[in-house]
Order: sequence, then structure tokens, then C-alpha cells
Amino acid sequence: MKRIVVCYKWVLDEAYIRLNADMTLDTNQVDHKISDYDRNAIEAGVQAAKALEGTTMGLTFGTAEAKQSLKAALSRGLDESCWVNAEEASQADGAATASALAGAISRIEDVSLVICAEGASDTFARQTAPRIGALLDLPVVTSVCAMELLGNTLLATRKLKDSTETLEVELPCVVAVLPEVNAAPIPGLKAVLAAGKKPVTELTPEDIEADLSPRAKVEQVRGYVMDRKNVVLKEGSAQEKVTELLAHLRKEGVL
Amino acid sequence: MDDEIFDALVIGGGLAGLAAAWTLADQGKSVLVIEKGDYCGAKNVTGGRLYVSPLLPHLGGLLDNAPFERSISREELCVMSAEGSLTLSYTDSSLAALPGQSYSVCRAKLDRYLARQAEKSGAILATKMRVDELIIEDGAVVGVRSGGEALLARTVICCDGVLSLFPQQAGLRGPLEPRHCAVGIKEVVELDAQLINQRFGVSDDQGAARLFLGDATQGRFGGGFLYTNKESIGLGLVLGIEAFSAEGLDLTAPELLERFMQRPEIAPLIAGGQSVEYSAHVIMEGSFDQLSRLYGNGVLVAGEAAGFSLNAGVTVRGMEYALMSGHLAARAVVETCKRDDFSAQSLSVYQKLLEDSFVLKDFRSHRSVAASLDHERFFGFYPGFVTGLMHDLYRVDGPKQPIYPTVRKHLKASVIKDALFKDLGKVRKL
Repeated sequence: MKRIVVCYKWVLDEAYIRLNADMTLDTNQVDHKISDYDRNAIEAGVQAAKALEGTTMGLTFGTAEAKQSLKAALSRGLDESCWVNAEEASQADGAATASALAGAISRIEDVSLVICAEGASDTFARQTAPRIGALLDLPVVTSVCAMELLGNTLLATRKLKDSTETLEVELPCVVAVLPEVNAAPIPGLKAVLAAGKKPVTELTPEDIEADLSPRAKVEQVRGYVMDRKNVVLKEGSAQEKVTELLAHLRKEGVL
Repeated sequence: MDDEIFDALVIGGGLAGLAAAWTLADQGKSVLVIEKGDYCGAKNVTGGRLYVSPLLPHLGGLLDNAPFERSISREELCVMSAEGSLTLSYTDSSLAALPGQSYSVCRAKLDRYLARQAEKSGAILATKMRVDELIIEDGAVVGVRSGGEALLARTVICCDGVLSLFPQQAGLRGPLEPRHCAVGIKEVVELDAQLINQRFGVSDDQGAARLFLGDATQGRFGGGFLYTNKESIGLGLVLGIEAFSAEGLDLTAPELLERFMQRPEIAPLIAGGQSVEYSAHVIMEGSFDQLSRLYGNGVLVAGEAAGFSLNAGVTVRGMEYALMSGHLAARAVVETCKRDDFSAQSLSVYQKLLEDSFVLKDFRSHRSVAASLDHERFFGFYPGFVTGLMHDLYRVDGPKQPIYPTVRKHLKASVIKDALFKDLGKVRKL
């Protein structure tokens, strides 16, 4: 049976991250979640499985923390899930991450479609899908805002700056989807309960052929606060001030 | 797939719900906790102090390694008038001993820990889920509806807090009344642990709890509180909703808190700190007579949903009643599972367990406390009287009267003589 693999990342829930006075991040007590855009990738996988009459598998590369992600991913409608458990994940760059995921995918049989989100909601590096495609020698379609499966063909619409591009790809292929691709529903209670009973595979780096050593290393992560412009409009009549305000806003690209 | 029928379905993953879930799972029962927040503790406001001692014999396994903040070794009471204040600070060797009898707690940490323990024992936790209503068939609660889905259970334990709707739906209690409720408003100020130690005269693991009466609430029903956590101070006000809805009040609750934090008794304690949390919630000024009915067919109520918060004058307690009532609700479910009878009559064992525990014993013995506290003189007149007397006792700006004549002058000067006898009668009920 045709398999659809959806890659997702278990990220810190940024809503709870606090900024310390010295601009370092306070991630104490911050829970993890499935990267926001990956929810759409998972939903795209679930819909693709219906069209292909296939099955879906969630795949993540993460540290021991990511174990909690399996149930969360499965509750979104995936049939089974696979986790590459490696401490290296905490330091991984795009190449290492893609290597781990591609290593796992190459062990899985009958893969027709690999779906990633365009980027992760924490780093948004946009490397995973293209790199997996390169490693597995599969065609890659990025920035997908709509997709349809016709037999063994994927009809994908890419979102460009001011236009869209529609293209056809033969399966198997790798796609990177944008959040616009679908509306990911919030899983219901029964889906959450059912998730606990679905099959889960845990892999270690020894189980896969992958190069997990990062060549791009994260030195630091710091908060960023934009300086205020502190423009005060006090000269002239109300009419003139409003005109000037509008000019400033246009200049900043707000209007 | 056949839908699983849980032995118990717990609404709300707070202290009551998690104690119930842990106990049930520990006894091998299937239990699902449905929590609305992103995680357990996310929605909590309690500026917390937990009296651990009475719980340990029952919930030791759950609480032994729980992340508490500081053991409260210093008990303080501050009586405030507009001009001054008198603070009593009490400590003794047993309060200072570790492990302590009570701890300040941060609920965001504690509840998450308890949730993990419950999950480890086998409870299933579903967060970010809201229960829409109970499913009631032939007068018995048989499950809940959530997001359009029906989930069935042998029993439902309502632990959904003070603004609980489900005991009302099950016909166990009526709507809340303003005169039985207060609004709690709290700020958490982050401060270096060493500074906290110095300012409160405590060591790393020890802390202080201070209650404020009088001008903190502008002489109206309520009070102020302050607890030291490890690296923060939680402080705030509890304002009786009826008293503060009455005419003639010129400040809103947030303004009162602002004013409270600027008082000379408070400002130096939190100076240099950073405000990291601001929250408010309804509190029940609980008493025995406002308790919900605690059980019905297929349903139990625990924690603040049942009204288990107790204003005992110098202590306001709720969390240990939540944990204990949740635990006992679970034990009642375990009992009824043996009989396979989940009727109200069968579940009445819960009431009996509560009666035998400190929970209902405390509520019975404090039955008349809340009513006798509900008097303006306690919040307005007496604080003014005390600080006025202190002012004269310590003021030296010319010829000075000895102590006794000064005290006598104050006792005579005011309306106190008539009122004192009446109020002494009330005090006997405390």
C-alpha cells in the first residue's frame, strides 16, 4: 500500500518563552508543541492518504523530549509514527536533520509522497524538504499552497510573490507545504484517545545511515526588540499632521 | 473500534482532578482527565500556599518529591489603617523545621508535576479540550460531550473550579451568589532569592506568609496577602464582591492593588523586582452552608467546584481541601466499582469519607466563621483603633501619659464600648 510520510518538528511553544533583561531566552517551564506549520503538513498527509487510498506515517527527528510528540502527531489523524531518537537533534543543522529524516525514509517501503512544512515555526530555515529530495534523489516542490492527487500524479500550486505556478509531478516526490494548503482541524477527544493505541517505531542513529554532525553551529539565541522610531508630529494643523502621519506609515510599508 | 468506557472521567486538571486521577490510576482504574488549558496549571491563579501535613498520610506518593517553593517558617499578620500599620510576626522551632507543615507553591510548576505523576500511574490526560456538557440519561450522569463527541464513563468527577457549571447542570448546586464570592487579584514579582532571604529574614528553603487587614481593602470585606516563593513574591488582594459592588467606592480592584503595592509596608519588599504575572479570579468565601451537594447518580464534585475553600480568619485555605477531596472522590469510585453500582446511594460513600477526614471536620467546625467575619468594624474600625493607639503609645512630643491611661483614653474615646461586647461575641465564633 502507498505510504505518505509526513515530517514534523517538536518545537518549544513560543507563546510561553520569556525574554530576560539581558535578551537571553527563558525557556524554563516552556512546553513543546508540533511546529504550527507542520499541523498543515500532517493534515495534507491525511488528505493525500484518502486520495491515494494509502496510509500515513509521521516522522520526527528529536531528542528524548520528542517522545511526547508521537501521540500529539497521531491524534491529528496519522496512522502510525516513527521517531529518530538522537541527542544530536538538539544541535542539528539543516543537513543533519535532513540526513536523519532521509535515512529513516529510505528504510520505509512504498513511500509515494514525503510532505514537510515550508519551514519550522522556530527556525524557519526552509531546508528540510529540498535536502531530503536531494538525498533521496526525488523531485521537490516547495511553497505549495494547494495540492491534488490524480492517480500517480501530484498537481501542486506554488505561491509566488504576486502569482501562482501550477505544476505536475510524478510520484514519488517531496513537497513543502504552506499553511494555506488546508485548515488543520483541532483533534477531538476520541482522536486523542485513539492516538495512544496506534503503532510507534523508535529508531536510534545506529539504525539509519545518516551524518548527524552539524557543520553550521548555533552560537546563541537572543531576543530581538526593534528600536522605536519615536517620531513625534506636533507642528501644523490637525489636517497637516494626519497627512504627515500617513506619509510616514506609507514609508514604513504599513499602509 | 469500540468506544472505551472509563471508570472515571475527571473534568479539570487542577489539584482536585489530578489527585483523583493519580489515586484512581494507582488503583488500576481507567481514568481520563480533560483539561481546558494548554497544560495543567495554565489557567491557575492561586497565590499559593499548601498545608502539606494533613495530606501526607494519604497522598505521600504523589507529593513526596513535588516541586514546592519555600516552607513557611514565618507567619505574619499586618493590620493597616490609612496612616500606619501593626505587623505581628510569629515563628517557632516547629515552623522552622523541615520538612515544613506548609509550603508556598507555584501552580504552573506544581500542577504540571502532578499531571506527569498521574500520567506515569496510567491516567490519560487530554489538554486543550473543553467539556461542553454532561450527558445525563434517566437522571444519571453517564459521560460528557466535548467538541461534539460523546465520551462515556461509569462516573464523572467534576473538578472544574469555582466557576464550575457542571454541578449546576447535574442539579447539585444553584448559581453562585455575589455575597458568597470574592475576587482575588494577584501579581507575581520576580526577585533574587538572596534579596528575598534578607528582606524577610529567612533562609533559602524557608519563607514568610503575611496577611493584611484593614486599609488594604479600604476597610471593606477582604484582605491582602503576600507569600515568598523561591525567586518571586506573590501578593494581592481578596475583595468581597458584594462589599465592593456597594456604593461609595472610588477605586477599582486593579487600582486598589496598585495602591496596596505602593504602601510603605510593601514597596520596599518588592523594590527592584520585576512584575512577571498578573491575574485575577473568583474565589468562594467558602463555608459549610455554601457547599454543593457532593454527589449524585454517576457524578461527584471535588475541590473548589464543590465549594471547598475556607476563610478561617487568619488562614485562607483551599488547595489541601482540593487535593484531599479529589483523592477521596477517587476512593469512592474505587469502592463503587467493586459493587458495580454508581447510583447516588452507592456514591454517598464519598460524603462519609469526607466526613471522616479533615475536610468536612474543618468545614463543620468553622461553620460560623465567615458570617462573623463579615462585619465592617473588623476591616475598618479596629485597624484604625489599633494604629491610633500605637501612634499614641510610641509618640513623644511633650509630656507623656503612661501606658494604661493612654489605652483607657482610646477605649473611651470611640464607639468601641458598645460595639466591643457585641464583637467579642463574634470573636468567640472564630
